[in-house]
Amino acid sequence: VNSDRRGWRIALVSDALLNAPRDRARPDVVRVLETCGYGVLQLPPPGNYGPLLAVIADQVAEYAHHGYALVAIGVRGESRDGLHWRSLAPLLRRRTVTLPPRHLVRAEAPAAEEQRLATFLNGYDLPLEEQRHWRV
Amino acid sequence: VIKDQSDSEQGGQARAPRKVALLANCLLNQNAKVCEGAHYPGPVTPVLAALRKRGYLLQQLPCPELAFAGVRRWWAVYEQYDTPAYRSHCRRLAQAVAPLIEGYVRAGDEVVLIGLDGSPSTGVRFTSSKPDWGGRPNRPEDDWNVVPGRGIWIEELEAELARRGLPRVPATGWGLDMGRFDEAGAVGDLETFLDRPTGAADASDGDSAP
Repeated sequence: VNSDRRGWRIALVSDALLNAPRDRARPDVVRVLETCGYGVLQLPPPGNYGPLLAVIADQVAEYAHHGYALVAIGVRGESRDGLHWRSLAPLLRRRTVTLPPRHLVRAEAPAAEEQRLATFLNGYDLPLEEQRHWRV
Repeated sequence: VIKDQSDSEQGGQARAPRKVALLANCLLNQNAKVCEGAHYPGPVTPVLAALRKRGYLLQQLPCPELAFAGVRRWWAVYEQYDTPAYRSHCRRLAQAVAPLIEGYVRAGDEVVLIGLDGSPSTGVRFTSSKPDWGGRPNRPEDDWNVVPGRGIWIEELEAELARRGLPRVPATGWGLDMGRFDEAGAVGDLETFLDRPTGAADASDGDSAP
């Protein structure tokens, strides 16, 4: 019996969300990701981290080509959403990866934002046929 | 590239040091594990709980095995990964993430490393060993040894940080790859490490082995 418990779903997450101060005024994105069973691939903070983004793109490509569902979770309302999309998107395309759907979280209204994120995460996965092909 | 330190000082006043945990990739993402190795759907929840309760910032490290041998790789031991090509790959990953780590250390933050004990790559206190593994992958269950020592990736990461003149980061390992995983014991072990007095010895140098 295979006791492996992996969830087969992974979120690229902005550093600002993963390391947000914990208070009731902000959505707890980490808790929602845990509850929904998503693994986390952390993106670097703002700055020039090209080599690290290339390493992350290699990992995303490996998952994307082997039956894992991928999403990207950033911050809405900031000058940057924390996803490094201008750098990351070309790296993913070069690795023949379909760009993952993006969901942006607002800093305010934490309960509503957490619910909106959970709805997005729970509602996303690969088509059943692909799941059956890979997830044995 | 060194992380922008402009937030480390405001109005000439140094900010308080932050606590930063460098995490083995699979502690945030169990999908990185070899087949049959994932104990959780996503993050390893007890590790995150222990770190968040204590106010640690999280810094995920890349998974060297995934990017090298793929998500459908075979199980392997230290000796199989101890090749020039794999070490070179690990050095590339270390050079990619080291600027972030260097930023934290040079800003005076309290940085710790949490690896994965028993792993051929990410082991901190223990790694896996079986010098005769190779060829057709038909080994019986539990046919490897857990031995004291770093995994290949941790060795190369620490070497890169040393090349940058950084002090050794206190480190411990979550005992997920020790053969028979004991979650309660692993939690106690991790909390003892996190609550140790500042400046105390690295868990891997002491006798706090599980």
